[in-house]
Amino acid sequence: MYEHLRSRLQRREPILLDGANGTELVRRGVRWRKHGLLTDTEAVEQLHRDYLAAGSDIIRTNTFQLNPRIFLNVFRNREHMRHIGAPGLEDLAPRLLRTSVRLARQARAKAGREGTAAIAGVLSPLEHCFRPDLAPPADQARREHEELALVFAEGTVDFLLLESMNTIAEAKAALAAGRATGLPVWVSFVLGPEGELLNRESLGQAAAEMERGGAEAVLVNCAPPPDTTRALATLKRSCSLPVGAFAHIGRFSPPSWKFEFFPQFTDTEEWPPARYASEAKRWREEGATILGGCCGTGPAHIGALRAWLATDGRSVTA
Amino acid sequence: MNSATMYGAIAEKLLRGETIILDGAIGTEILRRNVSWADHQLADRPEVVRSIHEDYIRAGADVLSTNSFQLCRRAFDNHFRDVAHRRHIGAVDLDERANRMLAASVRLTLEARQRTVAPRPVAVAAAVTTLEWCFRPDLAPSAEQARAEYREIFQVVKDAGADLILLETVNSIPEARAALEVAKDIGMPCWISFVPDERGRLFTGETFPQAVAELEPRGVDAILLNCAPPDDITAGMVELASHAHVPIGAYAHIGRFDPPEWLFTAEYPPPRYREVAAHWKQIGKRNGGRILGGCCGTTPEHITALATLR
Repeated sequence: MYEHLRSRLQRREPILLDGANGTELVRRGVRWRKHGLLTDTEAVEQLHRDYLAAGSDIIRTNTFQLNPRIFLNVFRNREHMRHIGAPGLEDLAPRLLRTSVRLARQARAKAGREGTAAIAGVLSPLEHCFRPDLAPPADQARREHEELALVFAEGTVDFLLLESMNTIAEAKAALAAGRATGLPVWVSFVLGPEGELLNRESLGQAAAEMERGGAEAVLVNCAPPPDTTRALATLKRSCSLPVGAFAHIGRFSPPSWKFEFFPQFTDTEEWPPARYASEAKRWREEGATILGGCCGTGPAHIGALRAWLATDGRSVTA
Repeated sequence: MNSATMYGAIAEKLLRGETIILDGAIGTEILRRNVSWADHQLADRPEVVRSIHEDYIRAGADVLSTNSFQLCRRAFDNHFRDVAHRRHIGAVDLDERANRMLAASVRLTLEARQRTVAPRPVAVAAAVTTLEWCFRPDLAPSAEQARAEYREIFQVVKDAGADLILLETVNSIPEARAALEVAKDIGMPCWISFVPDERGRLFTGETFPQAVAELEPRGVDAILLNCAPPDDITAGMVELASHAHVPIGAYAHIGRFDPPEWLFTAEYPPPRYREVAAHWKQIGKRNGGRILGGCCGTTPEHITALATLR
């Protein structure tokens, strides 16, 4: 499946990602615990199907910010987790990852898209995606990402997408861990208010490092659409890889009691699908070939992108 | 009765050596009623929160705690790189949301008290937790920073009408001391409750004799233990009881922490929980007044059972 995607990338054909999983599941009333992967598997699978129906070429596993640390971090240490925690927390993250892959595969099979849609296994910063100051040391990050990447490789996904990466060091570690499994890897960075990496490193330098590290595409995500547009010019200037973008819409509204990232965005109506598609048009003009939606977007946004690509979007030269 | 006399009535009972009944869990009780707890439900489902407070009054609680566990400005700010990032992509009300919710948590508790007739004084305790995650003393801010943040929180709950501060699930003596100094400075009664480990010590390795020595001279009104399994609470109570001169108390959690929610187990049904609480009461005999309640996983039925220990 990935060979098909790779040849399209090489021809610089537009490729459509899906939209958000977390915020859309929360919007649909899923109580956000364990990513819905224990309690709401039908809703997760249905959302994948809705994205495929909207025209996505790629569906992403519902695993953003899902790793063993999100459970361990709320205890004093591992012993404390064993002492007062629910049974099974230690190996829960890999179990949930396996479930996420199974649901994506089921959705693709039921949609009859096995030959035309790819599944991306989503990895993200091991700590909170907006807190680069908490990132673990590179060697530690490498080990932890590799453990997760192996679960995806055995799963089986078509490639890995590192999302919302916030430091070059962790992105490099995760990229190396991903490549060690033999899967192709795309890397996407979250942007700070000034278009920098969230830890204030330069996006251009990050893109160049990812190319050297063997990434097959570099993207930006989880920033407002106009920021994303500006960042694409930097990406294009800094590497020769295919580039892409998936912006968030609305405003991040974390709940009062949550330690880890919680996908709750408000005011998303400021970016209805048509407006989002018109901004994405500018991404194409900046040279992006991979387009999708991050937090706040839904199947309607992907549908609007697909409709535009089906008409004049395809002809924009990248 | 105004706030001063409402707490005064509780303090007098403690002075007479009586047992004061604290309420049970709010957060896990919201979950048990099949409602998400992601936003404390203070704005979206106030009736659920209020009815839990009312159930605890009916169950026999002398002190109600507000639904404000880990609710503070820092809880929101921690989700962003910094203020500039929060302003850039965050919801526009985040700067004042914590204080608004804190005031709402006090208001809902006061409303519950007003609506429910109880044949005894009922005080409202503003439940305030560590500024960082309650089980992670390694993340605690400096004492100076902590004082500034507690001052803001305590002023909000005082203005909203809380009768006392219940600083709970505290994991280090320096943070307890910083908060206590602020509470006394603004003139609020202050109970401080620590999480004990299996050996009956704080997570930092500090001991309860040390905590007593630091907090009693600064005017702490009671020292308690909470948010650990009953056996750990018992271990801590033994340490605490032999050194404290102020009233002491305990409220254990039952079941298992299943982040971000709670796993309810049948290990401590109300009669068995009452039995361990009776033991805590016995341990604290020398200390005079004692305070007994329930933490995560406990329900109004547990408090009904405890109330018979009064």
